[in-house]
Amino acid sequence: VADRQSGARLEGLLLASIALVLVGIGISGYLTYTHYEGIDPSCVGGSSGCHIVQTSKYAELAGVPVALIGLIGYFLIGATLFARSELDRTITLGLALGGAAFTVYLTYLEVFVIEAICQWCVANAVTMWALFIIAAIRFVRA
Amino acid sequence: MASRREEKERLKAERLEAQQAEQVAAGKRRRLQLLAGAVALAVLIVGALIVVSQSGDDDDGSEPRADLFRGIAQKGIALGDPGAPVTIVEFADLQCPFCAQFSTGVLDDLVARYVRPGDLRMELRLLSFLGPDSIRGAQVAAAAADQDRVWSFAEAFYADQGAENSGYVTDDFMREISSGIAGFDIDKAIEEAGSEPSVGLLTEADTLAAENGINSTPSFLIGPTGGKLQQLDVDRLELGPFADAIDAELDRTRG
Repeated sequence: VADRQSGARLEGLLLASIALVLVGIGISGYLTYTHYEGIDPSCVGGSSGCHIVQTSKYAELAGVPVALIGLIGYFLIGATLFARSELDRTITLGLALGGAAFTVYLTYLEVFVIEAICQWCVANAVTMWALFIIAAIRFVRA
Repeated sequence: MASRREEKERLKAERLEAQQAEQVAAGKRRRLQLLAGAVALAVLIVGALIVVSQSGDDDDGSEPRADLFRGIAQKGIALGDPGAPVTIVEFADLQCPFCAQFSTGVLDDLVARYVRPGDLRMELRLLSFLGPDSIRGAQVAAAAADQDRVWSFAEAFYADQGAENSGYVTDDFMREISSGIAGFDIDKAIEEAGSEPSVGLLTEADTLAAENGINSTPSFLIGPTGGKLQQLDVDRLELGPFADAIDAELDRTRG
């Protein structure tokens, strides 16, 4: 019974991870689209934060849009979710940890360097952190 | 006999179960240690990235009024909410001392009183009739507009204006004044200065100035956003005349 409950919990965490990956793909996909189209992301309340952040030099890393890096990251995490070995869970955790750490760096840049907050970036950071926490639980409990 | 064998079997099963439980617990401990190690490594890497980015900024304290445009949208040559009812176009030459005076003496108040609340948007049209240093500065400024940082660049330029046409507007000078502009890639702007889009922007400014009979800086046009603008004649570079004109224009547009 305990095993069944534990298995159901792990399945629930897997489903939550899939949902978060889809949210992350939506956010980073939208930001990648606006980057290449040269348009401003829609910001709640007409805030200019998104514009300031997305037009800053930190919106690209070695010429690659940060949003595109995020999009690729979410796809990779999504791909590892469907394989069930311990190695896959470790890779998921590693990717999610890397993504969460990167969002900390990006948030630092927003607050202390660019001095503007992009709501989409905040939503992305929250999504990536939630993914990391779930990946950590799945990794430890498995 | 049977009960002794059963007892032995039971004890064996319990031992096995305990061993398995211990193995599971050991596996969990190992994974927790791995996780803690990975998190610690990530913290170190992020910390290193932050330290590197801080040392790269090298703020020498000369950053001009860093808060002035904080949180205000810059888009191309425009500053402020695109939906603001009133527009002021400023014609300026980066070497012109009166433009710097306007910037430090009036612009702050205009931004705080009208731009930030969304009543006014401003455009910066750069002319370069003072000489070669103006031309070079305007070219890089036009490229800065492509990165939506022309207002910040002009502010930084004014704060370090040198002797007119002394040749001070070098790439190094522009790198130095730009070091405090958040998110601005000055090397890219220098590279793109003189490119077709930035030259086009400057030609547009010259044309607009000629059409409106503007032959000195700073000069201004004012009017409803998207409507016909007219010259704003001010007798002094103080907030008063600008505020009067903007208030009157706001009354008309809201009338």
